Amino acid sequence: MSSMVIIIGAAVYVALYFTYGKKLETRVGATDSIETPAQRINDGVDFVPTRTPVLFGHHFASVAGAAPIVGPVIAMAWGWVPALAWIWFGNIFIGAVHDYLSLMASVRYDGKSIQFVASDLITGRTGKLFYWLVFMILILLVGAFSAVLGGLFVGNPAVPANFVLLLVAALILGALIYRVKMNFVAASIIGVVLLAASIFFAPLMPITASRETWFLVMFFYIIIAAAIPVNVLLQPRDYLNGYLLYLGLALGGIAAIVGFAGFSAPAFTSFSPIVSGGQPSPFWPVIPLIIACGSLSGFHALVGSGTTSKQLDKESSGLTIGYGGMLVEGFLSTMVVVAVAGYGMALINNAGGAITAENWGDNYAAMSRAAGLTGAGMFTQAYAAMVADTFLRFIPRNFVVLIASMWVAGFAMTTLDTSNRLARYTLAEIALPLKDRSSGLYNLITNRWIASLVPAAIGIWLGYSGAFSILWPSFGAGNQLIASIALLTGVAWVTKRLKTSANMALIPAYALWFTVTAAIIWHMVVVVLPATATNPVTNWTVFGIEGAMLIMNFVFIIDFVRTRKVPVGEAESS
Amino acid sequence: MGNNSSEDRRPGPIRRLFATIRRGLAGLDAAHRERMTALTAYEARELENVFVLLLFGSFTGMPAPPSFIAVELLPFLEHEMRVLNRRAENASDALAELMGTLDADA
Repeated sequence: MSSMVIIIGAAVYVALYFTYGKKLETRVGATDSIETPAQRINDGVDFVPTRTPVLFGHHFASVAGAAPIVGPVIAMAWGWVPALAWIWFGNIFIGAVHDYLSLMASVRYDGKSIQFVASDLITGRTGKLFYWLVFMILILLVGAFSAVLGGLFVGNPAVPANFVLLLVAALILGALIYRVKMNFVAASIIGVVLLAASIFFAPLMPITASRETWFLVMFFYIIIAAAIPVNVLLQPRDYLNGYLLYLGLALGGIAAIVGFAGFSAPAFTSFSPIVSGGQPSPFWPVIPLIIACGSLSGFHALVGSGTTSKQLDKESSGLTIGYGGMLVEGFLSTMVVVAVAGYGMALINNAGGAITAENWGDNYAAMSRAAGLTGAGMFTQAYAAMVADTFLRFIPRNFVVLIASMWVAGFAMTTLDTSNRLARYTLAEIALPLKDRSSGLYNLITNRWIASLVPAAIGIWLGYSGAFSILWPSFGAGNQLIASIALLTGVAWVTKRLKTSANMALIPAYALWFTVTAAIIWHMVVVVLPATATNPVTNWTVFGIEGAMLIMNFVFIIDFVRTRKVPVGEAESS
Repeated sequence: MGNNSSEDRRPGPIRRLFATIRRGLAGLDAAHRERMTALTAYEARELENVFVLLLFGSFTGMPAPPSFIAVELLPFLEHEMRVLNRRAENASDALAELMGTLDADA
């Protein structure tokens, strides 16, 4: 069954890339006769034409994170068919369209970001909304991902040991490359040997600590990591993590294709199983809050229009990178669903649970949590079981668990570090109007340490509160809101600049906006509000953030509809 | 006949598939190595901005070193001036670029 799903998934992606994707490319009028900004400006610094496979690697590594792994694991409460259906449908008809349009709009705008395009085509206020939305999402992201890491560190003491060893390996690699100036290939070989050694020795020296301790460690770690030069620790660490990503993808891909494992998880449980905050959660509209990045992600629009568009060598490569990159990320999520559908039930029951296909919908969330198998924990164990079920079983299972754990932890930790750096920047932009009115307050807010401490403290506090099943959908809501804004910006670009029909984007864009709006209202009223009785500080904070995002969402749609027929440049005066 | 012989020389579909996979893997490898230095390059760029501002700050109203030094160096820094000019234009549009460079996706 697993092999069949993977092969069907690959076939669906390939077929729709060459049909739906190509149709979209035709609609956009992508042609190599128009020079891209990278070709036209080509300053050898910011704008550099890059070969398609290399740029694809850059783009994919930038957009791939832990969310396409964690989200599908949680969504398995609905059964594997709804989870797969949303990943495939969302990927092909919304996510990939959104990524491609953002990239191409940016390319035709001299490499300006989707935020700039929104300011130009809709209103200046829309552009400013991005800062607020990104800042709020970053706080939720720190909360959700610190909870993921906390779970991994407590659940498997070899993981933090491996992480500490990896940090030492990264420091050595950084020193070899930047201080000793060692040949890059030789230093890389030493780095990979150290990485392998860290995986080998970590189970021999597990680090056991309480959940509270790990959250405290993470709090100080992200503050320090955001303050030290990137070439000392972060870059070499991410470079080594990249090897783990490719190793993990190769092992998992082979195992999923040759595994032929049956699925023990039910294909469909019910329309409203227990998913978020212990409440029955209807598939529509909640699903995009749970599977965010595996299906579509608003952050991709910013990444694609921030760096990728400045390096695109020709317009015809845009489809491979923008549309194709999203499909590959969806394929990763497909692999996650296959692993959990095949091995999730046995893992929960082996850990003392009593889950069956019949009670899966009501008990999956609670029993997997009781078994220490929420989100990343479930994925790492199911992934290892899937690999052990093939000819790859000669690799000791605890090493495979460690590889998968470090893969997810690496992504999550990178996101934590960068979230803090970015939060500092967005806070400075948000506070800009204060600069003239109250320079003292502005200087206080934008102080390097205060701007780092505030988002880190709120985020880590949210993660520590244990409300992961509430935090995760909140992060998903913010991410999907940006996706809906970026997609509607793409629509505005197609209709106003290209003066052609944008139905391929307009219909999914409106559908996404309505779905996400309904989902946020549902989440605030049904999940977060009742939870304020037991955990007031955390849940009122989440309620406030979601409320603010909802208001911004309405401001945005009003601006979009109001200016839809207004010619470019006249939107502000209208 | 000429056409046939040129078709004979074309690699078969399996070879073409392997060639595509090889190109793809080489691309991933190159991207992976380039990302190792991407942030350092970003920081170096910021230092370069500061350097050019120090030299040519007088053009934008900033106190600067004696003009004759700047004027003497001007012909050699034409490229940097163009880059600085464009960066000044894009200064308010840095969020997306930062997210891409910092690998900020979830």
